[in-house]
Amino acid sequence: MSHHLYILSPSDTPLYELTHFSSKPVQATTSPLSANLPNWSTSAFAGTLTALSGASSAIQSHNTQSGPVRIGGGKDPHVIQMIANASLDVIEEVMRKENAMYLKSVDKFNEWTVSAFVTPGNMKFILLHESRNDDGIKSFFVDVWELYVKTMLNPFHTAHTPIRSAVFDSRVRASAKKYL
Amino acid sequence: MATPAAKQYKTLGEEIWKGRAEKTNAELFALTYGALVVQLIQDYEDYEEVNKQLEKMGYNIGTRLIEDFLARSNLGRCADFREVGEVVAKVGFKSFLNISPTVTHGGQPPAASPTRASTPQPAAPGSSFTLTFDENPLAEFVELPEEALEGGLWFSNIYCGVIRGALEMVQMQVQATFISDVLRGDESTEIRVTLSKYLEEEVPVGDD
Repeated sequence: MSHHLYILSPSDTPLYELTHFSSKPVQATTSPLSANLPNWSTSAFAGTLTALSGASSAIQSHNTQSGPVRIGGGKDPHVIQMIANASLDVIEEVMRKENAMYLKSVDKFNEWTVSAFVTPGNMKFILLHESRNDDGIKSFFVDVWELYVKTMLNPFHTAHTPIRSAVFDSRVRASAKKYL
Repeated sequence: MATPAAKQYKTLGEEIWKGRAEKTNAELFALTYGALVVQLIQDYEDYEEVNKQLEKMGYNIGTRLIEDFLARSNLGRCADFREVGEVVAKVGFKSFLNISPTVTHGGQPPAASPTRASTPQPAAPGSSFTLTFDENPLAEFVELPEEALEGGLWFSNIYCGVIRGALEMVQMQVQATFISDVLRGDESTEIRVTLSKYLEEEVPVGDD
């Protein structure tokens, strides 16, 4: 089961992205269509096909989850990014209505749910996930927010530029492991 | 070494710190200094030059800071260079920044000459002490980027200048340099202060 985190600036520039494979158990999602697609289905046409059929997660060899190995499909980073981008409109709509920082799940695409968190400085944190985990995700977002603030305080970091700090990266990963 | 003098300096430092009417916000201070260093880097584009400029700025600060220090602490002349190290660490840094670096004295002056000068020197030039900082208020949120690490930037080099400036105003010419810095990935942050020579008291020009 994987999660994808995107950090976006107020002008929707991606500043950071992370893919995290959770070792927590989750109900196996079945998607017969993509299971039948052969190896070459990572080509563009087949990519669309699998996206439409349900961007189900392909299981990587190092994932601890047991189950049939599915090839091709929604592990496609393009699909993931498309889902994230599409959710931005919904996020902005919700932002206008609600004043809270943690907007729970704002969008759903097949089995991917998009949760969002908007900071006071209008930075958007978007998390794509498959299972429900509201509390964990909220704690994770708050943690990432604190780490993000610390990065912003670094005089060598220019605002709204991609975050390349290795320290930030390792801390976000550790936080993901803890909460997700 | 809990000699009575050491404890005395510690309490003196704390008293002066507490007695200050105006303190400034640590975060504001750290952010201002960080912005300063980044601006210097953009202007000079050469890390060695930035180090030098920071040291120069520190020197100017130190020459003025010593007046404030002497006025508040009311300390007399230090007996020897060892004591200078203690006072700088326990009273100086404590009263201005509320940090207490540890002092390690070291550095036997190389090849002590058999003939001594007529005025007995409190310590031979060449003696040194090392200040070890376990916390550095200037580098609160800082992470050095790759280029700064390779270019040899000492982020807190202003400290070296302040020490040099202050001690020069009390007739000691010293060299203060960073030996290690946690920002660079080293174990600890250390400054070595080496005595170059004692300056003669100069009669102001024009006095009769």
